[in-house]
Amino acid sequence: MEKVKDALDFTDFSGVERFVLVVFSIFLLAFPWLGAGSFVKAVMIQFLLFSLFGMGWNTIGGYGGQVELGKAQYVGIGAYTVSVSMVWWNIPFWISMPIGVLIALGYSFMIGYPLFRLKGHYFAIATICTSLVLQDIFTNWKLVGAAKGIELPIHEHPDFLYMQFKSDTYYYYFIMVLFYIALFYMNWFRKSKLGYQLRMIKDDEEAAESLGIDIRWCKIKAYSIASAFVAVGGGFMAVYNLYIDPVSVMDLDLSIKIALMAMLGGAASLWGPIIGAAFLVPLDRFLGSWLGGHKGLIGVDFMIYAALIMVVSAYQPRGIWGIVEQLRGKGK
Amino acid sequence: METLIDALLQGILMGLLFALVALGLNVIFGVMDIVNFAHGEFLMLGMYTAFFTSLLMGVDPLFALPASALMGVLLGLASYYWFIKYLLRGPAIAQLFGTFGLMLFLRYLAQFLFGIDYRILQKGILIGKSFSVGPFIFDATKIAAGALSLVAFAAVYSFLNKTKTGKALQATALNKEAASYMGIKTDKMNAIAWAIGGGTVGVAGGLLINFYYVYPTVGLLFVMIAFACVALGGFGSIKGVFFAGLLVGILEMMFPVFGQLVGSDFLGPHFKFTVVYLAYFIIVVFRPQGLFGWKK
Repeated sequence: MEKVKDALDFTDFSGVERFVLVVFSIFLLAFPWLGAGSFVKAVMIQFLLFSLFGMGWNTIGGYGGQVELGKAQYVGIGAYTVSVSMVWWNIPFWISMPIGVLIALGYSFMIGYPLFRLKGHYFAIATICTSLVLQDIFTNWKLVGAAKGIELPIHEHPDFLYMQFKSDTYYYYFIMVLFYIALFYMNWFRKSKLGYQLRMIKDDEEAAESLGIDIRWCKIKAYSIASAFVAVGGGFMAVYNLYIDPVSVMDLDLSIKIALMAMLGGAASLWGPIIGAAFLVPLDRFLGSWLGGHKGLIGVDFMIYAALIMVVSAYQPRGIWGIVEQLRGKGK
Repeated sequence: METLIDALLQGILMGLLFALVALGLNVIFGVMDIVNFAHGEFLMLGMYTAFFTSLLMGVDPLFALPASALMGVLLGLASYYWFIKYLLRGPAIAQLFGTFGLMLFLRYLAQFLFGIDYRILQKGILIGKSFSVGPFIFDATKIAAGALSLVAFAAVYSFLNKTKTGKALQATALNKEAASYMGIKTDKMNAIAWAIGGGTVGVAGGLLINFYYVYPTVGLLFVMIAFACVALGGFGSIKGVFFAGLLVGILEMMFPVFGQLVGSDFLGPHFKFTVVYLAYFIIVVFRPQGLFGWKK
């Protein structure tokens, strides 16, 4: 009960922030009735999904300060568990998704234990390696469709057991609920013991160790929490797209995007991943669809994207939220 | 048995090239403690430079090598002075993301300029030629690539160990502050490291184009191989990276042959790079200083 209270307690934020949160929530609730087209709706779903991913990444990458670039493997685990169990055994989403999360948790402990012997660059590259290994295995594993991927069997719409709907509105509200669960969880997390321990580790590992914090165990826990978040998102991707393949759910680009959005918005802050996703997802989609129409401009959207990363990392590594806080600090 | 020896010899030739690719990465890492994710993209641009020089100017790809080297050096210097310098003020996480951004930028710039087609050179003195020694057949291009990689590697090695500048570089790698008290300008050393890094990988690109397709995303594979070589040889160790390159090359060529001999599908050629990634993971976890490393 204490925890729930903590999770719903936003009083340590400023009035402006709380006001924006309320307005934003009303907007999210009302969005499907604002008459947006299906493309805009799809963009909104992507935005909520990537906010969820980003918030998950934020535990280990933001608060823990570990450069984690392999989150896509857990998206893949979540998505594949849901798809495979639906195709082979006809297991409903509500059972297969938690199983996927459990597998992701188990796998993350298994990988995390050796992984967190490493620090800095070594760690970052090793996370990429583990993700690539898993992608290679799935790309060649004939039982799960290899490179061709898996198509989910279509059920009669709307099907709440298998989470298949014709209308995007259902998906929208479903991912919105997940988004709020994640937001409340993160609001609790940042004030939890683990949250404080992680920030201490990020600032000074030796000092944290001297205070009796088990550094490796803390990092592993945060890593597993992040993996669980991402696996839920992966499960959602499977039922939303009704088709998955190793490139769409396990590619390195996906890992990068997840880390990037959180980092661009502002790592180690509650709003950072949401701001990052709100900024990058529409940029990615609209730019992509606009430039996709012009044949000579392939890749320009990603160039703009990359230039943005370069500018942010060179001038304000704390991201957009860092800029906002800086401006506010000057105003005072 | 013959296939095994054949794979071994092919692996050594590829390994020499891998070592050259990893060398630049390791020099930059040693001097500045920065992992350059864009390294593979430098390679890719080196390949494109040689490709277009040879195609448009009608020069043989082997003689386009200086153009690739120049491209690499310029790319390294431009990256350092216009971008990396500013990253140094920020935390390590920003440096990682920064070079990652550079990698994406160069990759999609190439895609924008050259399209996503796979391109390969059809004409050249050595292309398509091969000769046999006993039961073994060698591609002339691969022999040339291996030999020239070895020459380039030896040149950089003797530069680092014989010249004053090279020794200054090593001093900076060992201890930046102490070196700067001795009057070695860190900024200049950093720039030289990037020039060497870019130049060597440019040469590697120019050699690789003789027998390998070039496309905008070719870099990722090679940068991962280079990471594995660097981890295996020890971050910052020049000698180590040479033997590590050879070892990775042999591993990559021998692995599918082993699979064939055992008759297992799970050891097939699709997994030859998976082994490289796994090797990286296992090495850094169990022996973080690498086989010859001195930096922790």
